[in-house]
Amino acid sequence: MKYYGTTVGKSEQRVDVVGKATGKVKYVGDYHVPGLLHAKLVTSTEAHAWIKSIDTTKAWEVPGVRAIVLGDAFPYHIGPILADRPPLAFKKVRYYGEPIAIIVADSEHQGKLAASLVEVEYEPLPVVNSVKQAFGPDAPIIHEDLGNYTKIISNVYPVPGTNIGSHIKIRKGDFATAWAACEETISATYSFNLSDHAAMETRSTSVEINPDGKVVVHSCTQSPYTIKKVLNQFFNIEVGDVVVHVPVVGGAFGGKGTVQLEPLAYLASKAVGGKMVKLQYEREEDMITAPCHIGVDMTIKLGATKEGEILAGQYTFLIDAGAYTDQAAGITRAMALDCTGPYHIPHVWCDSYCMYTNHPFATSFRGYGHPELTFGIERTMDKFAKQLKIDPVVLRLKNAIKPGHTSPTQSILTAHNIGDAAKCIERAKELIEWDQNKETLVDENIVRSKGISLFWKTSTTATNAQAGVVLTFEADGTLNLNCAAIELGQGTKTVLAQIVAEKLQMNINDIHVNMEVNTQYDPHQWRTVASSTTFLAGRAALLAAEDAIRQLKKTAAIALQCSEEDLEVGGSRVYIKSNPQHAIPFKDVSYGYKFPNGHAVGGQVVGVGTYIQKHLTPMDKETGFGDVGPWWSVGAQAIEVEWNKRDCTYKMLRAVTVLDGGTILNPRAAEQQMRGGMFLGLSWASTESFVFDESAITQNPNFRNYQMIRFGEQPTEYLVDFVETPAADGPYGARGIGEYGVIGAAAALGNSLSRAADVELDHLPLIPELIWQTKKESGR
Amino acid sequence: MIPFNFDYYKPSTAYEAVATYQMAADAGKEVLYYSGGTEFITFARTNQLKADVVIDLKSIPECTVLEQNGSECVIGSAVSLNELVTFNLFPLLGETVKRIADHTSRNKITIGGNVNSRLIYREGLLPFLLADAKVKIARKEKEEIVPLADLYKQEITLEPGSFVVQFIVDHAYTTLPFSTLKKTRMSQVGYPIVTVSALKKDQDIRFAFSGVCQYPFRSFEMEKILSDGTMPEQDRIEQALSKLPGPILHDSYASAGYREFVFKNTLADTLQMMEGNQ
Repeated sequence: MKYYGTTVGKSEQRVDVVGKATGKVKYVGDYHVPGLLHAKLVTSTEAHAWIKSIDTTKAWEVPGVRAIVLGDAFPYHIGPILADRPPLAFKKVRYYGEPIAIIVADSEHQGKLAASLVEVEYEPLPVVNSVKQAFGPDAPIIHEDLGNYTKIISNVYPVPGTNIGSHIKIRKGDFATAWAACEETISATYSFNLSDHAAMETRSTSVEINPDGKVVVHSCTQSPYTIKKVLNQFFNIEVGDVVVHVPVVGGAFGGKGTVQLEPLAYLASKAVGGKMVKLQYEREEDMITAPCHIGVDMTIKLGATKEGEILAGQYTFLIDAGAYTDQAAGITRAMALDCTGPYHIPHVWCDSYCMYTNHPFATSFRGYGHPELTFGIERTMDKFAKQLKIDPVVLRLKNAIKPGHTSPTQSILTAHNIGDAAKCIERAKELIEWDQNKETLVDENIVRSKGISLFWKTSTTATNAQAGVVLTFEADGTLNLNCAAIELGQGTKTVLAQIVAEKLQMNINDIHVNMEVNTQYDPHQWRTVASSTTFLAGRAALLAAEDAIRQLKKTAAIALQCSEEDLEVGGSRVYIKSNPQHAIPFKDVSYGYKFPNGHAVGGQVVGVGTYIQKHLTPMDKETGFGDVGPWWSVGAQAIEVEWNKRDCTYKMLRAVTVLDGGTILNPRAAEQQMRGGMFLGLSWASTESFVFDESAITQNPNFRNYQMIRFGEQPTEYLVDFVETPAADGPYGARGIGEYGVIGAAAALGNSLSRAADVELDHLPLIPELIWQTKKESGR
Repeated sequence: MIPFNFDYYKPSTAYEAVATYQMAADAGKEVLYYSGGTEFITFARTNQLKADVVIDLKSIPECTVLEQNGSECVIGSAVSLNELVTFNLFPLLGETVKRIADHTSRNKITIGGNVNSRLIYREGLLPFLLADAKVKIARKEKEEIVPLADLYKQEITLEPGSFVVQFIVDHAYTTLPFSTLKKTRMSQVGYPIVTVSALKKDQDIRFAFSGVCQYPFRSFEMEKILSDGTMPEQDRIEQALSKLPGPILHDSYASAGYREFVFKNTLADTLQMMEGNQ
């Protein structure tokens, strides 16, 4: 049943809107304190080389330089999944832009000048410039010591002596037999290079080490508790001695989920006796020194009956992780466990490889491998439909996954853990008017054409991922909501306030949401990633509200001289169910109740709620078997383009997203999430890509040369709708929706342009030159 | 952030500017003139440009002139691109510079800065090349007015310490039929794969190009071929292509092959527009 509440399901104004709209919000980079020192990095000018020597003589001559930190200050490896990355390169550099030294100076410009004067002598090594090369037999080896790296989580399988950072396998059913029996088969290969997150706020942190040993970190991170974990795990600091503060974050898109700057700033602070040191990346550093977005080369094979019933699928993913595995090792796993897309395929064989190259290293990007995966899957579905002479929507409907089926890792899908794929595509079809003219000639040169995609994603959180919420009250009966979910523009704090207001049946404006996170007093939260916050923190918020209600009722029962069972809360009052006029306001019970004679009972109300994932398991090494995510959200996207035959340019007209997000808690915010997602996905698909020269040097690490779509170039119309199949486990039936608007965008665009140009466009970005080149090569 | 220290001067006359330059250069310093500052800031902050002394030309009244003076249209070198668009004294220039960078940057970028840019595009030059513009130069001893064509050798060549004060265009040129088309890799904003500006004087069409070769240029040879109405359009384009002053650029924005394809299309569009104007 769909839930209609007093605030859940309403488009409440975002709680952070006024501060942001007036430009008064302070980000990490905006904070200055007296005595603050600045760190600047010396970065590698080679993509693969031995470091022969580092001469800091001239750098020391710059006034204001307080310390110069080199790799030997911490010659150990760190990493979230496989510890393979030294925070500062030592002995060897593995990508262009890799940190080699830190200058700590009184001012930023002094540090920057000194950094430019550090002389590094390299002995260049042959570079690995693509995943194909990395996978080949004669590739230079990037990590000689791969066999000795520490595994931080269990599901990572490096192959020593190769450039394979991890190899994840899915073996479901009997692929070989099923494949041999298929009447129709297709095989196709897709590829694209690494790219950037391009959040408006560049990454920034400050670290100080207090005389009492406390390490105080300010950071724009999605993972404050992971910073604690990293400083504890690799730097031997007591976890309780690390305090992380996070104000609001100015866009992240997955790029601020991993930990890179904080260990550097820690080493810098340590080198100057613990003084506060700020490390703020400039745009160029944010693009290539910091981790970026994966590249992929993938081959997809599908086999089916003549009627289009897909029986077997084989998937080979070569993921360009760049120089270090970081979260790309997790993405390698995520792409494998959802490899089929939202289709029921009984026999599955998948090899997903996390490949080292000499490119900047990659981490999570909104969608965690799924926008990339979906591009390959959905382009193949369109081609297969053409081969089978079936309408692409019909082929998708025929094979759409449903409750009763199993996922590639053999998780059983139920009505509660998966959305309705068929409904999504049917609705998307209506919105894009699929049945009316899939392609139309507007004039002699202009073709209008449509493309569609279907997608899914589960959130592969840690199996013990969790969140907590604490509610405290003000003397006037309003309440404070404390939770370590990070506000990075996605609206999470607003939705949490809605959940609490709904449970307490009170006005959302009477809830003060603490926007900042402080790990010392906020309850632990796994991270703000993986579209998991509404689910994890939302469940915790519900329980915190229930806890507060229990306490309010207990005190109110004394004040109103009745039993707790007779009471209900609503409108910031506790009232008697049978006589709602008979009530006591929150303010008279939230700090305890005071009798007329001055005696007091009850004490203040503090509502506490926590939630932890249940029944998740790691994957089996040989087959992938395991329960990897709490639910799958499914959705469909479509786009209409106007393509110019003569010059191969195009315009995006209508872009459609239909998502089964369970109950939609805040419709306007959810709609905006989808629009923003489509923008991000279409920008990536149509124009974004790093360009490497033959020495693996990034040619466009700046916004002069790295092109994104700009305001005015987005689709002329966004159409967003939701199918609301409630998720039994979600707060008020909600599922995670944060990443989903991105996932099918590239695929839908690729499909519409391929149809318009009558060629198969299998690479990104989909720039006019690519279409021209493909047409030329295919002789059309 | 710019890492190095530098001295900043803001002279109020051209004479003072030249003298300041001379003084600093004589002291062995690296000196730069600048006006909008977009290029100085962006290159200096990435260590691709260094200077001990910068001289800001924006307070020299002559450099900020934008007026119709009798039969001449006078454009100060420190006039911003957006001012050129807004006041539109020379529509071909306005239309051409409108496509340089983005609106916010065009508030700062000046026409003098654009034509003297370190980048290879300098699209602001094209209208001046087509309109036989003259430039007023501030030199050590005096100011003088010379034809742009005499100074332009792949870039405006001036002896150190001299700078462009104004561009002077005969008013008659500002009313001629024109077209200007810019093609990019993808976005509306970005460096040109090809920019073609054209101006029709009497029966002849003049052409100037940016983004095609290593520098902006106007080619009389190509103009002659392209204006030859006796030949079919396709042949004219093919022949004109063989007269390019250098190889077609091949870079991360476009391959040479694609650039040639775009160039041909853009030439065809330009011819259509200009010949349709008869």
